[in-house]
Amino acid sequence: MSSTHSTKHQPKSEHGTTESYVIGFLFSIVFTIIPYLLVVNRSVSGSALLATILGFAVLQMIIQILFFLHLGRGPKPLYNVVFFISTVSIILVVIGGSLFIMKHLHYNMSPTEVTKNRAEKEAIYQVGGRKTGACQAIGANHKVTIGDGIVNPLHTRASLCDTLTFISQDNTLHEITFGPHPRHDTYAGEDELPLRKGRGNTITLNQLGTYQFHDHLHPELSGEFAVSP
Amino acid sequence: MKELLIGKLGWESLPHEWFTIGAAVTFIAMGLVVALVITRLKRWKWLWKEWLTSVDPKKIGIMYFIVAGLMLLRGGLDAIMIWVQQALSTGSSQGFLTADHFQQIFTAHGNIMVFFVAMGFVSGLINYIVPLQIGARDLASPFLNTLGFWLYVAGVIMVNMFFLLGGEYAATGWLGVAPLSGREFSPGVGVDYMIWSLQISGIGTTLGAINFIMTILRMRAPGMTLKKMPLFTWGSLCSMIMAVTVFPLLTATLFLLFFDRYFGTHFFTTTAGGDPMMYTNLIWMWGHPEVYILMLPSFGIFSEVVSTFSRKRIASYTSNVVGMIGVSLFALSVWLHHFFTMGAGANVNAFFGLMTMVIAIPTTVLVFTWIATMYRGRIRFTTPMLWFLGFVGLFSVGGMTGVLLAVPPADFQLHNSLFLVAHFHTMVIGGVLFGIFAGIAYWFPKIAGIRLNERIGKYAFWCWLIGFLMAFTPLYVLGIMGATRRLNHYDASTGWRPFFIMALVGGIIIMVGVALQFVQIIASFIQRRQLIDVTGDPWDGPSLEWSTASPPPSYNFTVIPQVASRDAYWEMKQQGLPEHTFEDIHMPKNTASGIYISVFAFLAGFGFVWNIVWLIIASILGIIICVIARTFNEETEYTLTAEEVEKLESARIKRALAAHASKDEGSAGDMGLLEFVQVVIKWALDVVKSKRWRSW
Amino acid sequence: MVAANKEMSHEAAANDRVMFGFWVYLMTDLLMFTVLFAVYAVLHGNTAGGPSGRELFSLPLALTETLILLTSSLTCGIGMIAARRGSKKQVLVWFSITFVLGLAFFGLEMKEFAEFIHEGHTLQSSAFLSSFFTLVGTHGLHIISGLLWIVITLAFVLKRGLNPHMIRKLGLLSLYWHFLDIVWIFIFTVVYLMAFV
Repeated sequence: MSSTHSTKHQPKSEHGTTESYVIGFLFSIVFTIIPYLLVVNRSVSGSALLATILGFAVLQMIIQILFFLHLGRGPKPLYNVVFFISTVSIILVVIGGSLFIMKHLHYNMSPTEVTKNRAEKEAIYQVGGRKTGACQAIGANHKVTIGDGIVNPLHTRASLCDTLTFISQDNTLHEITFGPHPRHDTYAGEDELPLRKGRGNTITLNQLGTYQFHDHLHPELSGEFAVSP
Repeated sequence: MKELLIGKLGWESLPHEWFTIGAAVTFIAMGLVVALVITRLKRWKWLWKEWLTSVDPKKIGIMYFIVAGLMLLRGGLDAIMIWVQQALSTGSSQGFLTADHFQQIFTAHGNIMVFFVAMGFVSGLINYIVPLQIGARDLASPFLNTLGFWLYVAGVIMVNMFFLLGGEYAATGWLGVAPLSGREFSPGVGVDYMIWSLQISGIGTTLGAINFIMTILRMRAPGMTLKKMPLFTWGSLCSMIMAVTVFPLLTATLFLLFFDRYFGTHFFTTTAGGDPMMYTNLIWMWGHPEVYILMLPSFGIFSEVVSTFSRKRIASYTSNVVGMIGVSLFALSVWLHHFFTMGAGANVNAFFGLMTMVIAIPTTVLVFTWIATMYRGRIRFTTPMLWFLGFVGLFSVGGMTGVLLAVPPADFQLHNSLFLVAHFHTMVIGGVLFGIFAGIAYWFPKIAGIRLNERIGKYAFWCWLIGFLMAFTPLYVLGIMGATRRLNHYDASTGWRPFFIMALVGGIIIMVGVALQFVQIIASFIQRRQLIDVTGDPWDGPSLEWSTASPPPSYNFTVIPQVASRDAYWEMKQQGLPEHTFEDIHMPKNTASGIYISVFAFLAGFGFVWNIVWLIIASILGIIICVIARTFNEETEYTLTAEEVEKLESARIKRALAAHASKDEGSAGDMGLLEFVQVVIKWALDVVKSKRWRSW
Repeated sequence: MVAANKEMSHEAAANDRVMFGFWVYLMTDLLMFTVLFAVYAVLHGNTAGGPSGRELFSLPLALTETLILLTSSLTCGIGMIAARRGSKKQVLVWFSITFVLGLAFFGLEMKEFAEFIHEGHTLQSSAFLSSFFTLVGTHGLHIISGLLWIVITLAFVLKRGLNPHMIRKLGLLSLYWHFLDIVWIFIFTVVYLMAFV
């Protein structure tokens, strides 16, 4: 008598009926099959597909929360619901935050990029037995002076693994970048070299070919250099 | 064969360095002395029944204080070694520690202070005080409570185990950043000891947090809505909700690091696609909220202290609560400020820098509510109030240095410098630790039944404050001068040495302060007749815990009180106290299952550290069996009938009246230091002269 | 009479607390899974020259596992209704079916793992495989714990009958089992389906 007495106190809806379980079950099957078919048949694709299948997953979770776990129908205050919603928020922060942070970290600090940059700067031509493509030995140094409206020399001929130093003559700030204005191409891992009076900036010429450079702040100042083997 | 039996253990695992031998001998000697004393006094059974297997949160709270206090000494010893090394080791001198040993010391110092001192004291205070404040008899799950405590103890033993077997601790810094903490760069057992001690105690903390949340949300006295709860309970609730949110992140991350080391997976390795930066990201997702978990109970304590000793209700209860909730929410969105320099770029850094600065807002609201409470109050400058005043000054300045560090360009200069070290020590010592000391001073009469000696307490406070300023102000300067953290040696040409020497002197003054705190406790017990608290309410306190006896009976209240307003006990005192009635009380039985499960957990961790497979399997089986045995046990409570309660109460009242009669009212006041020394010398001489020591 | 009512409300209050506490525990478990999901999301592209999910996974197998686990969630729910009705025999039947389905799920998962390992793709091969095995494997570990829990609970039900304490135990067990199915929805979507997007 006493064993069933306490359970009779609770409202039936709190613990679910067979119908609610079966309904939840059927909905869940549908919400499983639809994304499965979408992926298998590739009727949608790319980020739209990703958003769709995630959406169905969330829908199915809500169905199961309501029909299997009966969330929201217990005795008040409904701390269960509060905790569930706050947990979901934390999940979004953890996963969203991680993706946000790691994506930016990978962009800026991806191991091969960092290794390559380091290798260039320190002329490390081999890492773990594999050649990095950096120069093994440094050749001759070529100077290009920029200032007072003049780039001297306008054309530089150099050999692979020579160095090229940009020097500023005047008091204005120059920002050397590669390619024709307004492009900002990259050469040898560098894309912006600030120049101040008296201070030079040197790059290693480890890529073959002819390249343009210009001062981004004074685009009329431009020149080119050719790197041959 | 040997590998199967004892894994990686061998003769070389036994202590053979000066510090491992020294520590092993000390621990064993201490253990023997304690065992001898207990045997002599014939108290083993009493110890087991009354304390170790107890599920009473008051007893568990006291046990937390004892273990945390011991670990404070252990972590403090690490600090002294760091201070001495850095004062000595410049120019041609290399100090007295090897570089590797120095690295292990600051790693252990961080782990111990955060996990075992701060969390231990906080858990102890919440255990003891919160049920009393909300009018409950116990926590929601007495079993989880004792389990949480013993898992904490298992963690304490694990973090010190390397002295006896292994000889090395992690040398990676307190968070064990990858890939340094991976198998390739830390092949020894040190990092494994760190992982398992943090893991075991972390699980204990999570279980404890679930318990506290259940208690605060579901076991308040009738009439006590959330808006009428005392502020220490609010602080504890916010702290424990954060704990329950972020400790699972720590558990999972430590498991992944463990997998890398044990199973050779590639989560945080430098090869096969592993990403060490992900470790930093995950571990700080736990690490930042952790410091707020430690801080929020202290905020709650200060609210209580300010209110009681200004004899005023808190200036704005709602602002205070909103401030604490605000701090908790924002704490979960700032973790990247610990690694601005890792290279995520300007967009990411800007977002997290802004969020970090925003946290200053709810924190400042809290400080304003406290100061506003003091305004036009009738302030009593007791020791707890002094701790509060020291806190307000230090925390505000330390907080401002935090806002400075939150600016990414500034952080690029100051990251991992001594400026950073000074900042977080200001927050943790000036904030968390001063709060704990204020709380212990405030609630000591309730816990022990006697007031603490105020004179020596004040000396201890001033030693801490002055010592702290001397020890850490030089570090702020050094950081801006370019000094990096964790240096075991620096060039003489830097000119840093005078600063490090000043820091060492500050450290010594702090140690004097710690010693004085122990002296304070002993002196209080010596003068207990004079300091005894017979009313249960020595400060004219506002909340329910002051309505019980000092110390309270095991059932806390004879009848659960009805609450009508905030500051429930002030209200009751004004309206007239309720009559004493008696009813049947359900009490939980003691249980040893917490101890057994923790022993198995320790053994499993030990097995993982040393790769002893049979031990791992047997211990995990042991845990499962104990858990099943306990959770399917239906006989976990006993009943105190109303008559028994009445008997206990009248016996207690008789004792209280007798104590009141014998109270030494007419004495000169709390004893000072000189008097204490005289008393101790007199006692020692007396013991020798009367040859009493022969009978020991 | 007053004492008996207080008795009952004492039990009911304790019941309610335990269910709530277990729910909070499930939230912490969910957060541990979140870390594993975050790690999988960040590292799943790091195959270190080895195979990716698209090359390894079998969607029909994943669908089968999903439907089996879903059905076991249904049978678990029906078993719970039987428990609250006080029908001991029904409880044993429906929870045993749940056990069998759970075991089938676990068996299929182990078969998949064994195949990968046999072909040389272990959790030591790449970050992707480490994350895959850990995420799916942790779920599998939870399933095994759940199966063990079902066996022990049914044994106690046989011995002690269906008293309120046992009903509460079954309630906690079903919460746990439903929770595992919800986590699986996301594993199915993020690990298996997403590999083919």
